[in-house]
Amino acid sequence: MSEINTGSFSIEELENVQITIGSIVGAIEKKMEAEGEMGPTPKPGIIGLREWDYKLLNRYEPVYTPMCDQCCYCTFGTCDLTGNKEGACGINMEAHQAREFLLRVITGAAAHSAHGRHLLHHLIETHGPDYPIDVGPSNLKTPIIQTVLGYQPKTIGELDTAIEYVEEQLTQLLATIHMGQEGAAIDFESKAMHGGMLDLVGMELSDVAQISCLEMPKSDQEAPFVEVGMGCIDSTKPVLLCIGHNIAAVTHIIDYMDEHGLTDKIELAGLCCTAHDISRYKAADGKKTKAKIVGPLAKELKFIRSGIPDIIVVDEQCVRADVLKEARKLSIPVIATNEKIMYGLPERSGDSVDDIISDLVSEKEPGVLLLDYDKVGELAPRLVLEMSVIRKERGITAIPTDEEFKELTDRCIHCLACELACPTNLSISDAMTAASEGDLSPFETLHDNCVGCGRCEQECPKDIPVVNVIEKAAQRVIREEKGLVRVGRGQISDPEIREEGVNLVLGTTPGVIAMVGCSNYPGGTKDLYTIADEMLKRNYIVLMSGCTAMDLGLHKDDEGKTLYEQYPARFVKGNLINVGSCVSNAHIAATTIKVAAIFAQRNVNGNFEEIADYVLNRVGAVGLAWGAYSQKAASIGTGCNRLGIPVIVGPHGSKYRRALIGKPYDTEKWSVYDARNGEKMPIAPMPEFLLTTADSVEEVMPMMAKNCMRPTDNNMGRMIKLTHYIELSQKYLGIIPDDWHTFVRSETDLPLAKREDLLKILETEHGWEIDWKKKKILSGPSMKMDVSAQPTNVKRLCKEA
Amino acid sequence: MVDTTKNLKMYTTHGTKSAKPVQPNIAAKLISKAKRPLLVVASDVLDEEILKRAISIAKKSKVPVAATGNAIKRFVNEDVNAKYINIHSLGAYLGDTKWTGLDGEGHYDLIIVLAHKKYYINQVLSGLKNFTDLKTLSIDKHYLQNATMSFGNLSAELHLEALDELIENL
Repeated sequence: MSEINTGSFSIEELENVQITIGSIVGAIEKKMEAEGEMGPTPKPGIIGLREWDYKLLNRYEPVYTPMCDQCCYCTFGTCDLTGNKEGACGINMEAHQAREFLLRVITGAAAHSAHGRHLLHHLIETHGPDYPIDVGPSNLKTPIIQTVLGYQPKTIGELDTAIEYVEEQLTQLLATIHMGQEGAAIDFESKAMHGGMLDLVGMELSDVAQISCLEMPKSDQEAPFVEVGMGCIDSTKPVLLCIGHNIAAVTHIIDYMDEHGLTDKIELAGLCCTAHDISRYKAADGKKTKAKIVGPLAKELKFIRSGIPDIIVVDEQCVRADVLKEARKLSIPVIATNEKIMYGLPERSGDSVDDIISDLVSEKEPGVLLLDYDKVGELAPRLVLEMSVIRKERGITAIPTDEEFKELTDRCIHCLACELACPTNLSISDAMTAASEGDLSPFETLHDNCVGCGRCEQECPKDIPVVNVIEKAAQRVIREEKGLVRVGRGQISDPEIREEGVNLVLGTTPGVIAMVGCSNYPGGTKDLYTIADEMLKRNYIVLMSGCTAMDLGLHKDDEGKTLYEQYPARFVKGNLINVGSCVSNAHIAATTIKVAAIFAQRNVNGNFEEIADYVLNRVGAVGLAWGAYSQKAASIGTGCNRLGIPVIVGPHGSKYRRALIGKPYDTEKWSVYDARNGEKMPIAPMPEFLLTTADSVEEVMPMMAKNCMRPTDNNMGRMIKLTHYIELSQKYLGIIPDDWHTFVRSETDLPLAKREDLLKILETEHGWEIDWKKKKILSGPSMKMDVSAQPTNVKRLCKEA
Repeated sequence: MVDTTKNLKMYTTHGTKSAKPVQPNIAAKLISKAKRPLLVVASDVLDEEILKRAISIAKKSKVPVAATGNAIKRFVNEDVNAKYINIHSLGAYLGDTKWTGLDGEGHYDLIIVLAHKKYYINQVLSGLKNFTDLKTLSIDKHYLQNATMSFGNLSAELHLEALDELIENL
């Protein structure tokens, strides 16, 4: 009996009959069996990895910092939970905070996964379900899906199983938010971890599908450059601005422009991750990118107010809720292309493009909802050509003239209401005074720190449009705001892991710093350059994604080169890689899985716990979401945490209201099993946390270096990592850190240049016994150096078990 | 005398239990009477005027300093008992009875905060408010409603005056 496979086929005897088999019951299960060795948790449910979560949460305890004293979830309340009191349903503050964090995580996971669902089905429609997955020269093409679900999809149609699993699990998690159910904070935490892991799956399938179908760079270290910054936009051309994260509709615009010879006549610009993905579209094999990147969400309001965009196309996620209102004031038509953002606009998919253009040009409608992408593809380029002429004739902008600017800055009464409302308490009042006296420099500095939220304007008793004032004052800076970003290259390939895996696990490459997330930086975009520059010079591998990857490209060295131009993009020490957009974050997490699979030959199929345990104990990687603000950033971070990757967020990250912090002084928590014999062995606190915050660039530098240390570092690796930790602490904090000695196992771990001085400190301040003739440590370290040790937190992985 | 109790407007967080406004002389008394106070300063101490006053408070009241963020580099050459610690970690440890403090001599009974990012320290204080019995006192220029007691919102000039008054009363 022959097997029926998915796909389309015809029956010879019957004309014009084609049968399409979408999915076959049990096919994926059969495929999972065929994958070979299967771990214990393929497609885990909520309870599947609970024991692993408990292990993590025992060492890395949740730290709650509530935003509000109350719970307002149901009409039983409102309940005052101050001081960890219980509310009417019996939930206390601790559990409520854990529940809130879970909600944040699954909101983010849902955003990525719904994006994935929409894009995947669009691509299945345009390319067919049998379109092969191709992400570059790798056998392990979907490491996260394999680790979580236990199968390797070969076609984009086979990704459907993964999205269905994610959606089903997210619904189960969302149900537990309902009042009167879960009461234990720790189980909300375990569920949040589950949500974070689902997010990794959702992101991976989204990006794998678009890389495969949309001719995006495939693990290409020579990916082309794309221009970035408000200053790089050529406003003499008609400017078509796309905002959001999902490029399904925008690809049709680009194709129409190509087919009609409009590519060089229209300035196609993107804001937020849509910008990344437009720049990746058809940029495989070094082809020129089709668009420019304006910047992240922080630039949305500012760029719209500049009046430069002639039309705006929005899709989903991280798009300001007031885009239509702001655009309408400046006669910029808005085309909504996704059900997630409809702005109350009429759905015009059934109308002709000519009719829609007529209504928008005449401003009969401020915008339209258009879900027919062929029509979007034709409408947007034709409309922008018409609107550009109309808007240029009228000279429309919200930026004040010189006279208006003077009047506005003079109008300020310095009541400080704007500064109190400002999320970062920027010194707007002093800048107003200086500007009124002709000094624009305080506003020029403030511009880079301003996230363009507009809360200041809501509070000003004198109705000063503060954002416009800042933008006017910073025109010189904005004009110079242009740089280059290397287009997102997608996955780290298997050959790269083969080459670099050993260095990462032994520590001779000091670590991977993954700079990800949004644009709510405490010290402006320059923070990113300072951090990446320092870590690259020290030979860390720096991975970038999302808004952070864009903002890094804005700054240059003395020779006018961005870091992307200075450093190559291969996955080896001292290289700088942009993986791509928000959903490309999956590849960063997946890199650690690849190290376990390729370098250590661990089975990945349905084997999450073992892989995460490997990553936690051996792969020196730290995530840094310096400007994280979104729920998506919370879910990405939590997914990384479950996989054993620690994450640092900037100070605004404290508003996530939950951290996972270990206590170095609690020595019972810092031990692992040696998998060779199941014996317990002490380790230094590494990593010290799974999720925490840092106050400033200066603080975060040594934190990153310290938390790249892992128990498996060999002497050379530990020496390198300890050297960076001590040097960065001295450079940025002016001190040798108090805890450096806790990472020393033998004298060969000590930084060479400082070995004698440090041995003296160990002897005099910590009471260690030193043989000065041989310059050897005789006693003192709490742990031994054993190159053969196999650290694990999972007892069942030990030989005796 | 600077009135530090007027402007109690809050934006970033809200709740049912907000800090009591406190005058500088009362704040000074609280610090002087505390058995085991801890002055927690952050990166705004890079401002010379604030640094001068933080050092005065630490010296006059012999209160140890937890230097968070990158504040420690300003205390390295000062005759002040200062140690670096991450503020989020400090918030976690302060609620743990196993922790014996920065110097190993036991728990603190009053946490005084100065020179912080408002939105950041207010979250840390929220954790202490909800999950510990610690008393917290903000002498920062923002009203920090999650402290037990706090100055109200002050201009930079008035804040310096208020700190001077506090120091005089120590």
